Amino acid sequence: MSSENVTVDDAFTKVATTEEIPQGTGIGVDVDGIEIAVYNVEGEFYAISNRCAHQRAPLCKAGDKKINAEHTWTDTRGGVNEESCTVSCPWHLWEWDLETGEHEASGQRIGTFDTHVEDQDVYVRI
Amino acid sequence: MTSSVRRLDTDVEVPPEAYDDRIVDLDFHVNPMEDELMSYVEDDRARDKLTTEFGSTPVMGKWDAAYAIKEGNEGLYTQGRAEHAEDVHEACEMLAVDEPIVNPGINNLNLQHHPVLKNAVCQAANDYMLDNFVDEGIYTSMMLPKWDPEYAVEELDRVGEEDGVVAAYSWFDPKVPWGNEQFDPVFEKLVELDFPLMLHGSLSYWPQHSYIGDDMLTWTEILGFDWPIHGMVNVINMIMRGVFDRFPDLNVVIQEAGHWWVPFLRYRMDEFYEMHPDDIQITPRKMESGEKYLNQAPSEYLKDNFYLCTQPFALPRNSGEASKMLDLSFAEEMFVYSSDWPHQTLDPPTWFYTSRAFSDDEDLRNAVLHGNADEILNI
Ligand code: FES
Repeated sequence: MSSENVTVDDAFTKVATTEEIPQGTGIGVDVDGIEIAVYNVEGEFYAISNRCAHQRAPLCKAGDKKINAEHTWTDTRGGVNEESCTVSCPWHLWEWDLETGEHEASGQRIGTFDTHVEDQDVYVRI
Repeated sequence: MTSSVRRLDTDVEVPPEAYDDRIVDLDFHVNPMEDELMSYVEDDRARDKLTTEFGSTPVMGKWDAAYAIKEGNEGLYTQGRAEHAEDVHEACEMLAVDEPIVNPGINNLNLQHHPVLKNAVCQAANDYMLDNFVDEGIYTSMMLPKWDPEYAVEELDRVGEEDGVVAAYSWFDPKVPWGNEQFDPVFEKLVELDFPLMLHGSLSYWPQHSYIGDDMLTWTEILGFDWPIHGMVNVINMIMRGVFDRFPDLNVVIQEAGHWWVPFLRYRMDEFYEMHPDDIQITPRKMESGEKYLNQAPSEYLKDNFYLCTQPFALPRNSGEASKMLDLSFAEEMFVYSSDWPHQTLDPPTWFYTSRAFSDDEDLRNAVLHGNADEILNI
């Protein structure tokens, strides 16, 4: 989740510009070997581990358009739910809380990272 | 200190080592759009009935995966819908699958009411598969109409010799298990063509048509356990009714019935059979042959004639426990990798690289990823 009043120091790394992550979507980045998915939820940026704890799907792919999506009920493979501030995994739809990194049904957690936005740049604290 | 930041490659979803292995996927569903499928129905009268505003007869299930997933998401097309060869190639690239064996995933056809219309859809499905997949170089498991063994043989005669058709796809269910002697002409033809019989779980028997499933209220019970029970019943029925004494070269692949029940079956079948062997002689095939007993222990047929698709693998996290389970389950002889694309129970081939049970045992990994499939398919 975005932190306010922080000093962007060595602990923060710029991962994208705000433009590169349109609202309701996410990207995947590797920062010093750590895979992180960063999402834009109603203008707020959230960062969590990119690997789903279930079977290691890349969470940055959540929201990808399906093959022949127009012939299915829902358009995307999982995706960001801005209302509940969660992301559902593109493989089996486990729903991860973007603030806590928790999957409520199993009680499992994945890592979350602080984010910060300054001058249209998105930073993540490793 | 400057950090190194890199955007992740968005086309690869599985561990990169998967691309170094040959991976055969024995359960990849394609789903024709109804209009396109109907255009392949040859008989005008059947097409006319199938394309009325009522379409095929309604077969409602009592329950659906959508009730068990947040937001009512769909289970059937979680990954998308493959209609043509390029769709299959695109999906396989993401999963590192080299050889998908595609099947027409019309899994509720078996329970449709009218046999003539069902046969018409089966003919159409097989012709659709020939045009759109076989001719495009994708190995295909043709549809086998379980409800009409005579027509099943006719379809095998008509389609089975086509290069690229490598197996026959049908369904297991609790009503008429495949040990029944009415299927002998089908088995004979399958052996002649050297095709494995692929038996998939079927939407048709959820749970309203199965006493086992009548009071099941959750998707976990219905999908997770109704099918394995039906799968086991079919396996045991085929073994005890002597199918494999008559057709020792017949290979059967069970799809989506689970696989960790192998130890339960292998020990329990042998125990019960050895204690109560004397009703075998009055099963119809043994009556005809005059043999008194099975030619070998029931567990031997399980190992020799059956293959089990692994989706979803549900491998224990502890690799020592996983190894023991794999060993007890004859995994090196019986397990065949399957993804079940595009359903929600999709199983990308991750286990083979994340568990030491596989990374430390190359023979086992190769057997499950392609060796066992290569053994039973002419590919
Ligand atoms: S890998 Fe994420 S839900 Fe299965």
